[in-house]
Amino acid sequence: MKTIAIIDYGAGNIKSVTNALTKLEQKFQVVKSAIEYERFEADFAKFSRVILPGVGAAKFAMNQLNTRGFTKILQNLTIPFFGVCLGMQLLAGYSEEGNIDCLGIVSGVVKKFRNFRKSKNFSLKVPQVGWNKVCIMRKSPLLEGITDKEYFYFVNSYFLPVNGENLLAKSCYGNDFSAVIQCGNFYGAQFHPERSGEIGLKLLNNFCTKC
Amino acid sequence: MLIIPAIDIINGECVRLTQGDYDRKEIYSKNPLSVARDFVLAGAKFLHIVDLDGARSGEPINQNLIIELCNFVDVPIQVGGGIREISTIKKYLNAGVSRVILGTKAVKYPDFLKEALSLFGCDKIVVALDVKDGKLMVDGWLNSAREDLDYCLLRLKAVRVKNLMVTDVTKDGTLEKPNVELMQYVRDFGFEVIAAGGITSEVDLRGLEKSSQAVVLGKALYEGRLDLKKILANLEPTSSLTKRIIPCLDVKDGRVVKGVNFLNLKDAGDPVELAKFYAVEGADELVFLDISASVEGRKTMISIVEKVAKEIFVPFTVGGGVGNLMDIRELLNAGADKVAINSAAVAMPELITEAAEQFGSQCIVVAVDVRLVGNKWKVFVKGGGEESEYEVLEWVKKVEKLGAGEILLTSMDRDGTRRGFDLELLKLVSTSVRIPVIASGGAGKMEDFRDAFQIGRADAALAASLFHFGDISIKKLKNFMNLSNISTRL
Repeated sequence: MKTIAIIDYGAGNIKSVTNALTKLEQKFQVVKSAIEYERFEADFAKFSRVILPGVGAAKFAMNQLNTRGFTKILQNLTIPFFGVCLGMQLLAGYSEEGNIDCLGIVSGVVKKFRNFRKSKNFSLKVPQVGWNKVCIMRKSPLLEGITDKEYFYFVNSYFLPVNGENLLAKSCYGNDFSAVIQCGNFYGAQFHPERSGEIGLKLLNNFCTKC
Repeated sequence: MLIIPAIDIINGECVRLTQGDYDRKEIYSKNPLSVARDFVLAGAKFLHIVDLDGARSGEPINQNLIIELCNFVDVPIQVGGGIREISTIKKYLNAGVSRVILGTKAVKYPDFLKEALSLFGCDKIVVALDVKDGKLMVDGWLNSAREDLDYCLLRLKAVRVKNLMVTDVTKDGTLEKPNVELMQYVRDFGFEVIAAGGITSEVDLRGLEKSSQAVVLGKALYEGRLDLKKILANLEPTSSLTKRIIPCLDVKDGRVVKGVNFLNLKDAGDPVELAKFYAVEGADELVFLDISASVEGRKTMISIVEKVAKEIFVPFTVGGGVGNLMDIRELLNAGADKVAINSAAVAMPELITEAAEQFGSQCIVVAVDVRLVGNKWKVFVKGGGEESEYEVLEWVKKVEKLGAGEILLTSMDRDGTRRGFDLELLKLVSTSVRIPVIASGGAGKMEDFRDAFQIGRADAALAASLFHFGDISIKKLKNFMNLSNISTRL
């Protein structure tokens, strides 16, 4: 079985993704730097896929990706890539979280949710925390077997606006935002599939076996 | 989907044409400014203005009026009609117009379009395509274009046009059904579609939701078939986020326990098995609190966290005895999604900021234990054993400012009593901060949860013994919530 690279830039919860991959019986290798990534490929075999789990703040993450030499590797990937939560946002050109240039693989600027007060009895908290409905806009191997309007688990203060070209699924929190995107071999989900129960594991499995 | 009311102008007046025919004109108002103001008052977030004299003559005849209108309303507007020169675009954009719509000129003169896009960017330019029976129309819908639709779409794609306004001219102003297939067809080329023509009902609007980023509404609004206020309320996105039901597992010595008012501990099971059970039952999240940790200065059981993380794939928070950044890192690395800080946050408020900066505020939950002392809600620490200097509002506002992502608010007075959540305390806190608040302490029946959301304005509600002893099943509770008009994940 081919090996999936898990990018660890030192911000935290790699464990929930590796636990999910273990459950799905996928082979993976956590790599902490470009050197580790390249050494693994030289010593063993080429990676089949890359997952960038996202926890933490965009600025810290981008600085770490740069320092650890990952930026070039990710930008030049030709194998399937999956960015989770912040990992998806980092695909954008720019993030307003810390005002930092990101990987620039998909167009768009990552923005912060507005505290939205519609009436005295209705306001939105930021961050968005919880299970939100995901509306599928386009077919993709990543979404195979997943029905429209399923719930997935989100924790985010920032979002990637809906972009016609790359949008696979959207969700709504004050405004519509990108829930799942695809740009060529680059996939991303704003929610945490590894934290979205069985349906989340299914999506993750789709990435590992169908993308 | 953005709802954009249209104001079409002929000779300074607000009119509607039927199928683009200047002879079939109806004047709706002599004052386009007041029409615009009424739309904005009804809640419109964007306006669509067309200079119909301009469209016919090729010159921006009503430009001054439109610029006046742009300054008059405080929502963004898009303008079309008679925009055939770069200087006209520049004048509109400089005056504060958000985007300009290019029609005939963009279709007939690709170089003009290219220049406009390179000068002003794709966000400022909308290309309007008028389609009649699958054919592209130009010159105010009078002539069909030389180019066919597919070729034109590919060409527009190649020069990076982003926004397309698509009008089925056979439908426009006729109050027939919109052409959903056409919108979908154009969208599949990768454009953001602004749909126009033939939209008369909420059903029509819903039918366009998948294909269209926005819709322009004209006649249906003017003739009163659609009420702008009502459709905005029904259709404009607010949120589809659900309320969370969270079982809390208080852990001591590797077992789940729940005390009444933090004393009298009872054994209620193995944490890993219980967590698995709750995940299957539909718990939205789990919270593990090492209740003895603060009192005894003991660290939370990392091994339990590791075991739980391997077995369940819904989020969970771990709290109790979290004293510094190392503790937080250790818990996150063990597989926890969030960490709850209590006593340490009160002792060292800067810990909240440091943790939020390093791990993201979304994984930093501040647990706030509150008890009424005299007539003041005071914050308690060390597992409820010690009164702090803070009153509740002062403290929750401070932790929000310091970067906390969520507040877990426990009423110690209610905890274990099953008399219901302290709704007064809950509402006070929930409406005073802009981060999510989890209600805790006192749940006894299903109505208590409903009240926590509807009256207390909580974002999530937590209970322990009620779930552990099977008094209320999570599934049943969620069904009850949905029947009470509170959306939960079923």
